[in-house]
Amino acid sequence: MTALLELKNLGVTYRTRDGEVEAVKGVNLSLAPGDTLGIAGESGSGKSTVAMSVLRLLPKSARVTGEIMLDGEDVTAMRWGRLRAVRWAGASVVFQGAMHALNPVRRVGTQIAEPIRLHAPEPLPESAVKARVAALLEQVDLPPARAGAYPHELSGGQKQRVMIAMALACRPRLIIADEPTTALDVIVQAQILDLLGRLVAEHGLGLIMISHDLSVLAATCARIAVMYQGEVVEHGGSGQLMTAPRHDHTRALAAAFPTVGDPASRFAPATSTPLPPEPPEAARRERADVLLAARDLRVVFRDRTGGRIDAVAGVDLQVRRDEIVALVGQSGSGKTTLARTLLALRKPTSGTVTYAGAPVPASGAGLKRFRRQVQLVPQDPASALNPRHTVYEAVAEGPRIHRLPGDEREIVVAALEAAELRPAEAFLGRLPHELSGGQRQRVVIAGALALRPGVLVADEPVASLDASVRGEILGLLLRLRRELGLAALVITHDLGLAWTIADRVAVMHRGRLVEVGTVAQTLLEPRHDYTKSLLAALPGGVAARAQIQF
Amino acid sequence: MREALAVAEEIDPDERRGGTGAVRFLLGKLGGALASLFLVVVLGFLLFRMIPGDPVATMTREKPFDPVQLAQLRERLGVDKPMYRQFLDYVGGLLHGDLGTSYAYNRPVADLIAERFWPTVLLVGTATALAVVLGLWLGVRAAWRRGSMFDKAHTGVAVTLWSVPQFWLGLLLLIATRGLFPSGGMRSPDTPPEFLPQVLDVAHHLVLPCVTLLSVVYAQYLLVMRSSLLGEMNAEYLTTARAKGLRDDLVRRRHAVPNALLPTITLIFLQFGLVVSGTVTVESVFSWPGLGYLTYQALRVPDLPLLQGIFVVLAGSVIVLNLIAELLYRVLDPRVRAR
Amino acid sequence: MSAITRQRRRAALAGIWREFTADRGGLAGLAVLVVVVVLALLAPVITDAAELDVIHAPGLPLRPPSGRFPLGTDVDGRSVLLLTLWGARISLLVGVSATVLSVVIGTIAGIAAAHFGGWVSGILLRFTDFFLVLPSLVLAIALSSVLPQGVATIILAIGVTSWPTTARLVRAQTLTIESRPYIERAKALGGGHLHIVGKHVLPGVLPLVLANTTLVVGNSIIAEATLSFLGLGDPSVVSWGSMLQRALTSGAVTGGAWWYLVPPGAAIVVIVLCFTLVGRALETVLDPRLRGTR
Repeated sequence: MTALLELKNLGVTYRTRDGEVEAVKGVNLSLAPGDTLGIAGESGSGKSTVAMSVLRLLPKSARVTGEIMLDGEDVTAMRWGRLRAVRWAGASVVFQGAMHALNPVRRVGTQIAEPIRLHAPEPLPESAVKARVAALLEQVDLPPARAGAYPHELSGGQKQRVMIAMALACRPRLIIADEPTTALDVIVQAQILDLLGRLVAEHGLGLIMISHDLSVLAATCARIAVMYQGEVVEHGGSGQLMTAPRHDHTRALAAAFPTVGDPASRFAPATSTPLPPEPPEAARRERADVLLAARDLRVVFRDRTGGRIDAVAGVDLQVRRDEIVALVGQSGSGKTTLARTLLALRKPTSGTVTYAGAPVPASGAGLKRFRRQVQLVPQDPASALNPRHTVYEAVAEGPRIHRLPGDEREIVVAALEAAELRPAEAFLGRLPHELSGGQRQRVVIAGALALRPGVLVADEPVASLDASVRGEILGLLLRLRRELGLAALVITHDLGLAWTIADRVAVMHRGRLVEVGTVAQTLLEPRHDYTKSLLAALPGGVAARAQIQF
Repeated sequence: MREALAVAEEIDPDERRGGTGAVRFLLGKLGGALASLFLVVVLGFLLFRMIPGDPVATMTREKPFDPVQLAQLRERLGVDKPMYRQFLDYVGGLLHGDLGTSYAYNRPVADLIAERFWPTVLLVGTATALAVVLGLWLGVRAAWRRGSMFDKAHTGVAVTLWSVPQFWLGLLLLIATRGLFPSGGMRSPDTPPEFLPQVLDVAHHLVLPCVTLLSVVYAQYLLVMRSSLLGEMNAEYLTTARAKGLRDDLVRRRHAVPNALLPTITLIFLQFGLVVSGTVTVESVFSWPGLGYLTYQALRVPDLPLLQGIFVVLAGSVIVLNLIAELLYRVLDPRVRAR
Repeated sequence: MSAITRQRRRAALAGIWREFTADRGGLAGLAVLVVVVVLALLAPVITDAAELDVIHAPGLPLRPPSGRFPLGTDVDGRSVLLLTLWGARISLLVGVSATVLSVVIGTIAGIAAAHFGGWVSGILLRFTDFFLVLPSLVLAIALSSVLPQGVATIILAIGVTSWPTTARLVRAQTLTIESRPYIERAKALGGGHLHIVGKHVLPGVLPLVLANTTLVVGNSIIAEATLSFLGLGDPSVVSWGSMLQRALTSGAVTGGAWWYLVPPGAAIVVIVLCFTLVGRALETVLDPRLRGTR
């Protein structure tokens, strides 16, 4: 049986302003009909380039060498007419629908119908097209009436379903899914992966899935190829790759997404230098004075049509000294609003926020003093730093605002060293775009540390970072807790992260905390249904209970 | 597993389609337009009554008048009354369609404006329509063939035309087309009174002023459409369209251009003031009997009541047109309808 | 640390200059502008101001170009070339002054409208949008007709009516900047309004304001010419607009005296074109997002 897709010595070079960049080198992969292959890698590994090259969707500045055999035909040698016929009818692409892959001013039904009409051998009557669109929407579990909706009227998950329906429209033999679940919540992600798996099996399609998340690929694909800097560094069955990775990079990727319940990853994020073992919990609990606390906090919005939205609906939360609390929730749960309210960046509608027992003042010098104590680490370090300010200026900003006594340079250097940027002097004059993602996040943390706060509120601190760097930053947070007694409230959607570094977990759903407790209690013995469904949706699954001893 | 997942089902974002949303939007925009119109009226009063201090002195500054005549003039124009009284009279008069009396012509301002209104509409309407068609069409073509001779030539011409003072262009055209077109006015007195010869006569007179007004305006539209489309061409949904197997020109026509057109249309309407300003100078150069030429004539005196009336009418028209633009945009862009 | 910062700034400026010079249109525009400005400034030195005097005009009225008068004479017998050169002084003066006024008002209004939320922003927004829609020339005409005639009036009229475009641009840019997470970080660090606007917003907005300023100068010069043409300028000074006005009213145009008509207009076109080219080049250099759209 001929392979459905065969990449022979594929190479892609981009022509940029700074010369030629080799994005993909010597890639050899093959896919049989009905086979599922996952391509894993970080940003810049070349995985998306490989996917886009199959249908020649790369920009004009890209030069492709090697062969791409799709169903026996070489795509690189196809003429335009044949290529356009093959596009979508031979192989189709599921783009990141939740982003901007859909035309915002056209109804989704029209967009799904477009390739149907285009590839029909003779003009189809309207009714036939409509029927086909309705059938496709049903296959992806959407009501056919949604065909009349515009993209902005759909949720992220629904948009992704539309993209899948669109990809199936011309009955292709191969589907290429490019990061299909990256912008989606854990639960929605699970639904989409489930749907995709089911459809691929039903229709006997070949599937290539691209992702940076190894656990997602392991759940959906039979084989995985790991790419690093343009080359395939490891290739094999997904189960074996996850449990016994051979290449260093694969190991780093696998470690970045720890399995909840696995004792090996508890308090042991993937760092280059392993952390010392955790001191027994009992000793720490002695010094548990409450620092940041919220009492019956409520934040109400009015949406554009005047309706009431309870973003935060009565939350009680405490963060004690020397502990890390993970606030886990999906988008729309209100966790970001809660974080901003705790930082006094927005006023609550009712309820109080206290620090060390005293309520936080709404304005003036008291508020400024509070700000020194509770600091923010925002999500994306690339945009959290002013691109025109050097590292020195960024870290010195806080001390300058508060006119801290002492030599400014010493304060900055001390903060940078505490954030593990050594030697600090080498970094002082650099600009953010000259640093890597991990280094930028350390600069942001240094800026917070310069004020010697008691609590760090970290909003998705590693979500924008590459898999191999996440462990380092999480390790830093743990070290800061151990060495400085610095408490942290980590906002995240990732339960694996909570398992790795948190002491206590609070699960948030639609403005309320549905479950609060220690990590062992909440993640291993969840009581609330929502927590259970979150854990059930994890692609890696929860490690067998039998292995855990508590 | 699907049962467990169903517990935390995703909910559709709230839909509040049509109905209440549309009515609220309409009322909101109408209210805004009315507020702006009122501001225009206030501004007119501020400019032409309050700032000059003594409008009579301004109007008669270069002519010899004895004090008795001045006093009579004051009384006739109502400037001897206290300011608030004048304002109330002014607003009251406006609501009745009375815009005051022209000082130079000694006729109601409203009549003068009514006479000159339609020639201006004819000129502005023709020029704008042609400019939109020409500018948008060339802009799309130039953007799609970015970097080509076509693109460079047209962009260069547009940038240059943008730098040309309209009245100067008009004068140049007058000299250059010596005799081919009439040098002024809207009608020649010796045309036969039948319909067709009259229409042709007006059209003949319309050519030069229209071309002059059109030249600077179309350049602006071309540049805006071009940069809007260029900006749109990197959008991700265009890759999706290409992946579906669409030909390049279909991708452009069906997906890129309609989306690039939306912000361009808003900009065009927003800059309608530009066209109106241009009318003043172009009509003056060609003695086209419209509101612009009336302004020029009023400025020579200066005839303040007439200027005030023209200002209110011109500014008010622009506000009304802007309101139409906003309503139109809502119909065209489905993303706005959700608000 | 200031040594490093200064070095950074110098390197950044050098980078901007390099990119700017890569745009041939911008470079050509800048070169011509420099030449014109130098000539205009040196006019009292290189030419004799006495020849501007109407009463003691050196030549015969409305004569075509000749050896003595390379651009011919005007209706009073003065050299058109001389008039064009001296006209540059007024046109440039008015253009630049009106622009400074307009840009200052516009920047303050734009930043205030975007930075302070609530009712302050609402009022400023309505105000800006209102003036944005109004035809600015009509407004400028209105102002110039009621205030005493003179150069100051023209500057004021143009400055006070062309700020909305800058305000809109500044407001959009400020909103973009303020939506970036580093502003939130600055607030979390304890920064107040002054800190955020001074350290983050203004440095982010100024480059675009600069680019926009060059474009506004072009508009102001045309506006000055138009106002003078309509008879609202200062009759005692020579500007390009007043030259054109005299050309029309004295019957020179219908008499076919093209040498009186072309130079001032051509001068306007050249100067405004140069400002436009420089402005567009600056915009492309300073706002990388625009790179794909030129």
